[in-house]
Amino acid sequence: MASQPANATDWITLLGDKARTGGQGPCSVHAPARVRWQLRVARSIRSAPVLRKSTLYVTSVAGTLHAIDATRGRPKWVFHAADKIHSTPAISGDLVLFGCDDGKLYAVNCHSGKKVWETPTRAEVWTSPSIRNGIAYFGSADQHVYAVEAATGAAVWNAQLEGRVYSTAYVGEKRLYVGCGDGRVYSLDLSSGNVLWSRSTGNGIDSSPALEGDKVLIGSEDFYLYALDATTGAVHWKYETGLGILSSPAIGDGIAVIGSKDGYLYALYTATGRLHWRVRAGEVVTAPPVFGQGAVCIQAAGLSAFDVATGKMLWRAGLGGAVQSVPVLTGEVIYIASSDGEVYALE
Amino acid sequence: MDRRAFVKCALLGPSSLYVGRDQAMQGEISLPQPPPVEVHGRPGARPSPLGMPGLFPGRVVEVSGANAIQGNRVSQPVIHRMLEHGMKNLTGDSSLRAAWARFIEPADVVGIKINPSGAPACCSSPEIIREIIGSLQAVGVPRENILVWDRYAFEIDIGSYQALLPSGIRVVGIEDGVGDVSGYDLDVYCEANFFGEWETRSYMANVVAHGVTKIINVPTTKDHSASGITGCLKNLGYGTFNNVARSHRAPISFTNPLIGLMCSAEPLRSKAVLHIMDGMRLVWHGGPLTQVQDFIEQVGTLYFGTDPVAMDTVELQAIEHKRREKGAPSVWEHDSKSLTANTEEFFHDPTKNLFYRQPGHIAAAGTLGLGLSDPNRIDHRTVCVS
Repeated sequence: MASQPANATDWITLLGDKARTGGQGPCSVHAPARVRWQLRVARSIRSAPVLRKSTLYVTSVAGTLHAIDATRGRPKWVFHAADKIHSTPAISGDLVLFGCDDGKLYAVNCHSGKKVWETPTRAEVWTSPSIRNGIAYFGSADQHVYAVEAATGAAVWNAQLEGRVYSTAYVGEKRLYVGCGDGRVYSLDLSSGNVLWSRSTGNGIDSSPALEGDKVLIGSEDFYLYALDATTGAVHWKYETGLGILSSPAIGDGIAVIGSKDGYLYALYTATGRLHWRVRAGEVVTAPPVFGQGAVCIQAAGLSAFDVATGKMLWRAGLGGAVQSVPVLTGEVIYIASSDGEVYALE
Repeated sequence: MDRRAFVKCALLGPSSLYVGRDQAMQGEISLPQPPPVEVHGRPGARPSPLGMPGLFPGRVVEVSGANAIQGNRVSQPVIHRMLEHGMKNLTGDSSLRAAWARFIEPADVVGIKINPSGAPACCSSPEIIREIIGSLQAVGVPRENILVWDRYAFEIDIGSYQALLPSGIRVVGIEDGVGDVSGYDLDVYCEANFFGEWETRSYMANVVAHGVTKIINVPTTKDHSASGITGCLKNLGYGTFNNVARSHRAPISFTNPLIGLMCSAEPLRSKAVLHIMDGMRLVWHGGPLTQVQDFIEQVGTLYFGTDPVAMDTVELQAIEHKRREKGAPSVWEHDSKSLTANTEEFFHDPTKNLFYRQPGHIAAAGTLGLGLSDPNRIDHRTVCVS
């Protein structure tokens, strides 16, 4: 179901794939019965955790990247950056990559916790880097999208847009797609950074896109979820929600699911934009959902699972009142980060 | 007086602060009197003639914009025209730039105090903030000297201000999590023991005490379950000092007198030179956090002034008017039958409330010299913009 990375070093979008599974692929989703472990890592977490093998990687606004033994919940190492971190980490080979409010993108060795390289921009980097074929692509609030070598951080190109970039790029085979604070969705050529097309929406964009066939799906603060033609940027369809969209679409089996600030979770057919179902998920939904097997999970003032086929709520856990975070589903364990700085393993 | 410039006048007895209609309604129920509040302003802070009540005491300009908000979307072009009319009418200047230049100099570091606490349903509109930023730049303030701030970073995130504001503008949340005092000056505080809480001080944010030279206050028009309404005063006071939730413990609220006293503290009082109240949406029940659209009217109004007391008085009238129109009780009502401890019931029933509201904080702020609360003395001007 999920668009899996081409190889172990690729991480092509926010949380690795268009199903937002963090590279885990769609796993079974059972109602959690108990907390296996709980660890407080910082005063606040406003990013999503990612899992590689048996290590959980979590960034915090204390400026720390934590590596946690996912089995026992014990800290392995902590890396201290120079400023707050809002960026969800990406994993490429032995590197954990993330942006920082000091304007840098960092690459840290996932085993040692030592910095491998850093590269500067001129404003905070809240986006998550996207990696394909050895190149990491990321946006900055300095209005640029950067391409650097993932192994070294060496600059490849940068492209200036017309607004801040808080949207994580989706990297296709030859082009990338990204939203921008100027309200436009951009397509850039992977080799040069040249703008291939841009398409206006009615307000700024901090949602991150997903590619489904020939369509780029992305939300906008103008209340709409857009499906744009990947080649031309033409609007295939758009769907209006009740308020702005900060959430990002997750896609599985021809269904796109996205949250809106109106508190609802929307499931739409990617082919037509027709509504499949709409359910209340919280007062406000700003995080992306994640696909499991036959279910979709959302963290919005609690963790909830919904049946993809019907929209019926399968279960709800009152943990993790975090905004902008996404659970890691593994089948046996669910890992979540909370805005109050706690990390939980639920089983 | 000690070296921390202890403000003796802040030790106002509670009786002097319970004024206006609040006092008349006290007969309904006997409420406890608030304890004394000590205000310790920043040592050496000098009062400014631009400080509250500012250049135009008692003047409030209400600008209504046809089509300013449609389908819950705020129109940037209409806001642009409303801002121009409002500023010119407030100052009497024929030039927008001249109007802004009365308050702001190119060398200023300007903080725009937003209210994101009701985001996304009702918060300071990014469209208005963008226009204010444009006006500041037109006066000559460079982008790097403009910052947009509030206390809670996570609420700013929900409002998406980072993405929606121009590049180069700093967006600052003072607190990243519970108990985070790293962004506060521990020598500038208000102290009172309301309910036996262990921390009896509320500290002033560094960004106000030291970071900015001027503040443009951009509150929203909302009722408030504890203070009656949240407008200019509450957005400034409770958005500048930490540890303020301790002032109200259901059903008792001591937001009066704390809100006004906080606003009187220097340098906050002197730096807050202009208030532009976002009345695109009017929350008449469930504030400040409600997301229930049933109680949020899309009004399309902006208010301009330098006198926060006069502006909040006008706002209170508007909210009371709407509540009467909807059959909801006055925010002055102190009827124990209206109380509920069930927040869901509160959010969905406009006859219910969590506290005995205390809108008397507005008049109390007037007694501190922050502005005029007598409606008969307020120069309330109305302008319609197409």
